Amino acid sequence: MQVDDTLLSKLENLSYLKVSDDKRAEIIAQMDKMIAFVDNLSELDTSRIEGSFAMSDTATRLREDTPFCDTRINDDILMHAPRSDEHFFIVPKIIE
Amino acid sequence: MFEVIIGLEVHVQLNTKTKLFCSCPTSFNHTQNTNTCPTCLALPGALPVFNREALHKAVMFGTAIDATINRTSYFDRKSYFYPDSPSAYQITQLYTPVVEHGHLMIDFEDASQKRIRINRAHIEADAGKNIHEGDISKVDLNRAGTPLLEIVSEPDMRSADEAILYLKKLHSIVRYLDISDANMQEGSFRVDVNVSIRPKGEEKLYTRVEIKNINSFRFIQKAIEIEVARQIEAWEDGVYASEIVQETRLFDQAKQETRSMRGKEEAADYRYFPEPDLLKAVVDDAMFAAATQIPELPDAKRERFVQEYAMNAYNAEVITSLPEMARYFETMVALGASAKNSVTWLTVELLGRLKNGVTIETSPVRAATLSMIVKRIEDGTISGKAAKEVLDYLMEHDAEVDAVIEKLGLKQVSDSGALEKIVDEVLLANPDKVAEYRSGKDKLFGFFVGQVMKASKGSANPQSVNDIVKAKLG
Ligand SMILES: [Zn+2]
Repeated sequence: MQVDDTLLSKLENLSYLKVSDDKRAEIIAQMDKMIAFVDNLSELDTSRIEGSFAMSDTATRLREDTPFCDTRINDDILMHAPRSDEHFFIVPKIIE
Repeated sequence: MFEVIIGLEVHVQLNTKTKLFCSCPTSFNHTQNTNTCPTCLALPGALPVFNREALHKAVMFGTAIDATINRTSYFDRKSYFYPDSPSAYQITQLYTPVVEHGHLMIDFEDASQKRIRINRAHIEADAGKNIHEGDISKVDLNRAGTPLLEIVSEPDMRSADEAILYLKKLHSIVRYLDISDANMQEGSFRVDVNVSIRPKGEEKLYTRVEIKNINSFRFIQKAIEIEVARQIEAWEDGVYASEIVQETRLFDQAKQETRSMRGKEEAADYRYFPEPDLLKAVVDDAMFAAATQIPELPDAKRERFVQEYAMNAYNAEVITSLPEMARYFETMVALGASAKNSVTWLTVELLGRLKNGVTIETSPVRAATLSMIVKRIEDGTISGKAAKEVLDYLMEHDAEVDAVIEKLGLKQVSDSGALEKIVDEVLLANPDKVAEYRSGKDKLFGFFVGQVMKASKGSANPQSVNDIVKAKLG
């Protein structure tokens, strides 16, 4: 996979992040390395492994159906969102 | 001639108290984004923990449709990018759902039945809501992460009517199990319809078109009929291959047409893979034992009503369609009203008086009260006509049945002393008719009874009047 400036711009859009001009080349190089690192995994033969394979054979833990919510936490998260208003997250208009 | 092929996907919002993977409450009347936490907002590092109750309710549903319950099921991750899902994926069950291979029976008016197969029911998380305003969209994630049970039928339905019968039966089962509010207007019972046509006799399946999110049975019926007409027209005009494509369409109720959503879909690649944040979901023996003990379902209850109360199939169907209605009826009977009159007074008189969104659950007249009204007819205290006045009054006022009868002066006169006096007066006032009757003109009997009823202003008990007139005329 080729990481270039076009792909980085697309990722900036998707992630709602802005990468400054002086960091672009460095980040593109780092992303190339990350993808190459993850590519190591393709050396493993997974053809005989079930899709449901997990590192642990135990069942997932079940939670009791008891409500709890600390609204100070979501107040905080909203405050740190790029844009929020009246406790809504505000995003650029979604094309319907 | 064409055959219509319909398959249905229904998203049922499970009525758990908390979300599927976090403890946030599932109530929706709260201020936007107050029922959110790091997990349902998908903050880095926050992990999902599966709600026991959601699994329990899914097993109940599987039991009700006689399905295979997968004691071990798995979660999968479906990637999609949209602001109603902060994680940019939905946790669902693609490869091994908790419920598979069930069925339900739909009932036709002539009492025949058809078996509709249910391919699967799987657990998944709901998305949040967006409000579009000018050049921005507001995002409310209170609903994000609410548990859904997606119920997928096989393409076994052959008409809009069959689709509606299936949906009503499914709705009724879900309500009986009390696993969802199943309120279509509020979106806790959402229907997607898959429709295709084929020439009668062919086995091949042609292009299926999906119609999304239609929020009433009536509109679903209409949407199917309109879409089928569109497909048949395209076929007959020879443009089927170009006009009818596999896509999602929206039903426009005002314009009475289905409209393509093309553009929004653009070759969705969901990149499904096993959810790495959750281990397998296991229904242990204790849960299995508890969740497979389900309440009496509508079909069984209907059969029982027909047997136990000699009810006709139609009435039994009406009364068992909603658990609240069945409960209302059973309470009336338990409190001493006859089954026959309870049916009429519930389905005709009470339902006929419920207006403006008032339902059997919010009816101002409760089962105990309606039962008392029926009992007062049955013990001769009031006439059926007077009972309607009592019911009218009670729809508007909170009061005791006997007090209302008293207040409105509706008590029938059964007291023979008082009635005899009226009968005597009537006979005295009509000596010629009495003579005619005695010389063999039997038909005049009705005349005397009518006169007595009139003199009593309708308050006389007709049976008592009959007896007394008969005795006096000898
Ligand atoms: Zn949460």
